Amino acid sequence: MQKLVLLFCSFLAVNALYSQGFQVNFQGQKQQGMGLAGTALSEDASALFYNPGGVAFVKKSEINAGFSPIFANTLFVDSASGEGYRTKSPMGTPFSVYALFGFKKLESLKLGLAVYTPFGSTIQYEDAWIGRFALTKLSLKSVYIQPTVSYKINEHFGFGAGFIISTGAVDLQKDIPVQSADGTYGHAELTGKALGFGYNLGLTAKINEHFSLGLTYRSKVEMKVKEGDAKFTVPESLSANFPSGPFTSSLPLPSVLTLGASYDTGKKWQFVLDINYVGWKAYDTLAFDYESNTASLADTKSARRYKNILAFRGGANFKATEMIAVRLGGGYGFSPVQSGYVTPESPDGNRIYGTAGLGFKFNEHFNLDLSFYYTYIKRTDRNLESNLSGTFTTIAISPGIGLSYKW
Amino acid sequence: MKQILSSIWIPIVIGIGTLTLSSCKPKYKTPETSAGEINTTRFVMIGGSHTAGYMDDALYYDGQQYSIANMLSMQLQKVGAGAFNQPYMPTGSVGVSGSGMSRFKLGYKTDCLGVTSLSPVRLASSGDVAALGANVYTAGQPFGNFGIPGMTVTAVNVSSYGMANPFFGRMNSSASTSVLTDATASDPTCFALFLGIEDMLPYVQSGAKNGSMTNTAVFSMAYEQIVLLLTSNGAKGVVSLIPDITEMPYFTTIPYNGLNLTPDKVTALNGIYNPIGISFQEGPNGFLIQDPGAGAFNTRKMVAGELVLLSTPLDSVKCNSMGSLFPFRNEFVLTLPELAAIRSQIAEYNAVITTIAQNYNLALAKPNELINKLQTGIVYNGITLSAKFVSGGAFSLDGIHFNPRGNAIITNEFIRVLNAKYNAKIPAVNAVNYPSVTFP
Repeated sequence: MQKLVLLFCSFLAVNALYSQGFQVNFQGQKQQGMGLAGTALSEDASALFYNPGGVAFVKKSEINAGFSPIFANTLFVDSASGEGYRTKSPMGTPFSVYALFGFKKLESLKLGLAVYTPFGSTIQYEDAWIGRFALTKLSLKSVYIQPTVSYKINEHFGFGAGFIISTGAVDLQKDIPVQSADGTYGHAELTGKALGFGYNLGLTAKINEHFSLGLTYRSKVEMKVKEGDAKFTVPESLSANFPSGPFTSSLPLPSVLTLGASYDTGKKWQFVLDINYVGWKAYDTLAFDYESNTASLADTKSARRYKNILAFRGGANFKATEMIAVRLGGGYGFSPVQSGYVTPESPDGNRIYGTAGLGFKFNEHFNLDLSFYYTYIKRTDRNLESNLSGTFTTIAISPGIGLSYKW
Repeated sequence: MKQILSSIWIPIVIGIGTLTLSSCKPKYKTPETSAGEINTTRFVMIGGSHTAGYMDDALYYDGQQYSIANMLSMQLQKVGAGAFNQPYMPTGSVGVSGSGMSRFKLGYKTDCLGVTSLSPVRLASSGDVAALGANVYTAGQPFGNFGIPGMTVTAVNVSSYGMANPFFGRMNSSASTSVLTDATASDPTCFALFLGIEDMLPYVQSGAKNGSMTNTAVFSMAYEQIVLLLTSNGAKGVVSLIPDITEMPYFTTIPYNGLNLTPDKVTALNGIYNPIGISFQEGPNGFLIQDPGAGAFNTRKMVAGELVLLSTPLDSVKCNSMGSLFPFRNEFVLTLPELAAIRSQIAEYNAVITTIAQNYNLALAKPNELINKLQTGIVYNGITLSAKFVSGGAFSLDGIHFNPRGNAIITNEFIRVLNAKYNAKIPAVNAVNYPSVTFP
């Protein structure tokens, strides 16, 4: 006789993880003022990120640190009920630190170390929002540590390569639709540390004193969570159905191929243009493998089906005085998220953004740069997996500050 | 130098400050709503137990709050509808079922084998029968929810119906009135009908043993009479098709072949039943049932497609060989011929309702399609809802009535067709906000 078994299949179709929206391009305050472009530049240590090939042309040794807090607010309006829900995400904290060293005896060689945060975000929705069973919070952090060698082949060409060690952490939370008598819902929290490896290659071509080209390829980094910790809080009678325990997962941080150009009038003006080709296609499926499975807690595979995208970025630098530079820029990026796959963890859409910046050169050694970034993203979709249907509107602003010391 | 600095700084600081303060949050605009061609001033809904907010096999306060009628009226209030009164049970009441029992909750039950598991248990040893006897009608505050548990289509226009059905008796305006008289007394300008399930439910729930289903012609005449009166002042409304009630968990939870046999049992049962041509095998077998059409011994094995009802005493199955040595009685099963008759009756009712909707130019809700989809499951804002008992998240613990979240989904079907038919923009219910089954 088959018992009246209560099966809790598919209570936990885990949906989750991070994504495009959260490719963070805040790796140099000067570039941030100029629409996040600057692959063809070779003026300071931020070239360690933007183009290791340009590093060889940087004239001095330098230490450079920047910080760009991100304030992002997303509003979701459910298409059926018309109800609106907001995020209460904490401030994002992308930073970059670059150290670049030259050698008097070997002028064509430069060594550098870059530590930066090219991906990551925290998005947290207000309590009891309509998508609570898809996601309540996702925090994704990654720090790239990149030792780099750059070599100036001749006056025109420089080549550089960096090895990337990426460490990261993920914290994903959602409610589970099982309710206690007092009305509280079950909750799942998946946390873990991730590790991945990659490389960053760059080629710089100084065509003449005005015109430069840059070509870079930053590889995909597969972030593997080998010993994640899944914690389930459910009504006591269901605790056996949701055993807390280890899980494994992985997520790809995509490759970025960039072609950049810069034009310097030699006096007051400098113009930059970058075209990114981002290999988001690598993010096809998000899978969670739980060590102990039950009828209620099955391993999950959620389709993401991201596509590769192009982004265009451009900007200008105007030397108002010997000491002060004024910068403006902007860009347009296509969303890697296809229709039907927009999720609360990455309410992404095609984005247009504008930036502005100021640079202060106090003396031969010391520079201060300020930047400001503003973007607006709107996306209407019905997710094929969760059937969450509505419009996400996101506004993100980021004021940035950077200091550098050269010698 | 300082001048240059300040001339650049001031506008930038102001600019950044302004942007930060004014534009860093997207603005929420309430989406446009509209009643379309519906005059929503006064809304009534007439139906059976599903309309009343009856769930967990009882009428009780919380369930009534989450009734389809109440949810629908709440959404209509967003497009101009007035106050909506329900005949509430007392707030702390354990509820009362048609047979005087209290409501179910999910608790622990130990079976005859000593195994303890989650199971629906009654909240109290008896229901709130006193509340059933206390009339809650207040003059000047007409009810809007005329969902009366047990009310067939043929009972809607029957005088003194409160004498026959205490669920109406506790809310009628006088002993002699009918449901239709009370419902139309306040001149409703829009209405919803969710009638017909009760015309077959008692019969189907008794394993096609007790009573009968309302004759189609009688059903048709009674239904049309109701619609005729409701629309006589030009009221707009929605009528609803009847779902296949045999797709509800009460009928689908226990599998027809739930007789799992060990080799010992197979030998023993074969010793008894082989002589009359019935044999068993190791593993799953169809339960044995009584069937008057099944040869000299009126006994046969169940076949695929036949249903075992949730009323089956499972302890007797587990420990006293019910369904094997002692065949199931008729009242615990629906056989293929019975199911065919039930389903063809539903189809006939639905044909009647469809025709009436066309003739009176009314919206036609199709919850039957939703309940059909629940067989495999639907995903609603990240929740998988199905027609599975307890875990499916859509039905209450009686396996026949929806839980609040299920009611919200059905309400949205009514709203969907009202919007389509009357060019309205009534916002849907957010079903995530409504509870499902709660667990200890």
